[in-house]
Amino acid sequence: MMWLSGGFIFRRGNSVYHRLDPRVKLLNSVLMFASTLMVRSVYELLGVIVFLVAVAAVATVLRRVARTMLLTGTFSVFIFLINFLFTRNLESSVLYAARFVAIVVSTSLFFITTSPDELEQVMKTFRLPRDVVFAFVTAVRFIPVMMLDTIQIMDAQKSRGLELDKGNVFRRVRNMVPVLIPLVVNSVVRSGELAEAMESRAYGVVPRPTSLVQYRASAADKAVTVAAILLFALAAYSFYYVLPVQFP
Amino acid sequence: MSDILEIRGLSFRYPEAPRMAVSGFDLAIPEGEIVVLAGPSGCGKSTLLRAVNGLIPHMYGGEYSGDVLVAGASVKGSDMRELAQKVGFLFQNPENQIFMFSVERDVAFGLENIGTPREEMRERVDDALRLLGIGDLALRAPHELSDGQKQRVALAGVLAMRPRLVILDEPTSLLDPKTAGELVDLVAKLRRELGTTFVIVEHRLDLLVRVADRLVVMSEGRKVMEGAPKDVLLGEGSEKYGVATPAVTRLQKMLARDGLATADGLMRPADLAALSEKRAR
Amino acid sequence: MIEFEDVSFVHQSGVKALDEVSLTIGSGEIVALVGENGAGKTTLVKHVTGLLKPSSGRVLVDGEDTKSTSTAQLSRRVGVAFQNPDHQLFSESVEEEMSFALRNFGFTQELIANRVSWGLELFELEEYRKSSPLVLSGGEKKRLTLACILAWDPDVVILDEPTVGQDSIQKEKLAGTIGMLRSTGKTVVVVSHDIEFLWPVQPRVVVMKGGRVVGDGPAAAIMQDERLLASARVVQPEMVEFYQGLKRRPAGPFIDPLEARRWVEGSEL
Repeated sequence: MMWLSGGFIFRRGNSVYHRLDPRVKLLNSVLMFASTLMVRSVYELLGVIVFLVAVAAVATVLRRVARTMLLTGTFSVFIFLINFLFTRNLESSVLYAARFVAIVVSTSLFFITTSPDELEQVMKTFRLPRDVVFAFVTAVRFIPVMMLDTIQIMDAQKSRGLELDKGNVFRRVRNMVPVLIPLVVNSVVRSGELAEAMESRAYGVVPRPTSLVQYRASAADKAVTVAAILLFALAAYSFYYVLPVQFP
Repeated sequence: MSDILEIRGLSFRYPEAPRMAVSGFDLAIPEGEIVVLAGPSGCGKSTLLRAVNGLIPHMYGGEYSGDVLVAGASVKGSDMRELAQKVGFLFQNPENQIFMFSVERDVAFGLENIGTPREEMRERVDDALRLLGIGDLALRAPHELSDGQKQRVALAGVLAMRPRLVILDEPTSLLDPKTAGELVDLVAKLRRELGTTFVIVEHRLDLLVRVADRLVVMSEGRKVMEGAPKDVLLGEGSEKYGVATPAVTRLQKMLARDGLATADGLMRPADLAALSEKRAR
Repeated sequence: MIEFEDVSFVHQSGVKALDEVSLTIGSGEIVALVGENGAGKTTLVKHVTGLLKPSSGRVLVDGEDTKSTSTAQLSRRVGVAFQNPDHQLFSESVEEEMSFALRNFGFTQELIANRVSWGLELFELEEYRKSSPLVLSGGEKKRLTLACILAWDPDVVILDEPTVGQDSIQKEKLAGTIGMLRSTGKTVVVVSHDIEFLWPVQPRVVVMKGGRVVGDGPAAAIMQDERLLASARVVQPEMVEFYQGLKRRPAGPFIDPLEARRWVEGSEL
């Protein structure tokens, strides 16, 4: 689980890529994701991966992406083995295995360079209801806070002789009760306080709230968009050329 | 000067509560004052604050009588949109009133909610950040801030709405004494520069008595004492209601009773020491 | 005895929370640990029961390395009451809440009943015996967490901000309880911004700043060291300031206004 969260948690950066319009970053990741699925040869997939790595380098997250690739790579060894066992086709097995790595990298690139506030902007573009968007933002905002709560509760109960990892499965589940109850109670109290603070700051009084930030398409935004579309077009071309879609 | 806050015979009972949380409360606060509300826990202070910024009755229903007027307009008859711009509310725990992932977005939260145009919002956010000396934190995330910084961010979010009245509900209880003192100094500065009125609920009176104009003591939902801090603390009766009188003020009070000090104003430790020296000689 | 030998602790995030702390707390001592929020006080406390293990250096409790002992075993000897009661209260009744640790430590039913009654009486919580801990006021919850710790009679008691929400009468009683613990040979460590209430027991004061111990000595000396206090962002009690304003002074600073009044009026004669 740790490698998974490491590959998807946003950390602030100041690269050109971080400063892009979050919608452009989303578009780029979605198109690369789609390209990955469309390409039909290992070489073409290599092209997509090279592009992703280049983007990671520009975004100065190469080390994190490399780590994610390495970790997903160990998993895709199994994909390769299983595929090869059944199909006995070396190239397609490599393709499937590498495809998995590329999918994870394209998705992770979006999440590690896009702050929760930017995610909110993206959600707004899709005209999701304000309450849904806000619920998402608060959830992300309070994950670290609740994790800290959990640690403190566990520390307090361990200091009262609770041994969390003692006994059989049932015993262990029961051991969690002294941790879960304060956690739930705290969260309920916290949501009450949040509701008061939201109300006091006029949450929901106008149907269309304004926003402090506005994105204007910069040269970098345009460049990344064009590059992503081009690469996608190539992938799509290859997909249709090699295997034209047949309608019944 | 006109009264920014007027409470007339306010009584409130939460649904199914056995007794009134606030009963027959009257108070008039002129604009620009710093008012401290003291009293034991459960005396109705929090309820009173919530009736001033409109959470009561707009969010919490109950048995409500009397009236609360902010800048002449009834809280009951105003909506949260108007109230949020007139009355700011800083809660005890800063963690639970910071919603956004960056400081500047959070400071803008209230302004976004009321539909402020972007240029004006930018200006107000920058003003609030500058006023609280946290301009350099604008892009930080909440978990990258210390307790004192979080409390400042929360206060900036309140001030960006440019309210005339700001309520602080035990704002220093989670801060260490040094940081708490800095927050109190900041409140005094804001009152001086902006003319904002502050109503503060606080246990730690030692910090606040120096800047407060008025001290109101509550007990069991009623107002039991009101006056300048020196009159309430050096006068009779404040012990009865469990007001946490600072140690030096307790000493001054005793020495005053014995005719060794005056009760004209609250004395600082060094001044009281100098006086004790003189009298002792 | 608790010994910190060159203890450093680095968080996962890379923040150094303890920086080469060396500190020995002998049995029977009363220690007040002071310093601004984030100075490393709670991190230090968590090392005593092995909730955190040092990144470098050693922590020894009665000569035993915390790295080779479990938190449960250490907690039997060292009782820690953390700052926020809401992080631990979970039982259906106050009485159950107090029994929790005692059951974990394998006390007999009879002993549990005895200890619970003792604690409820000491902290004036008898009337809530059957109530849910969640209905108590902030100050009462705090007292309940102290009662929970003292109930299993640990040799060392560590209290994190025990005076939060307590009025002056309760604070006096708490100081009395700490004095009583000392007379029975217990070690007490109090983490607090408010050491004035501890004055009657004249604690040893340890000052922390940025993960280091920057001051250590008797309360009377430390609280008069203005430079040290200012650098650690610790506020000097006003009564000490008053004392220092006097030209002719008694031996030690007073903290209790009654005592000060007696002195001022006595010196007039």
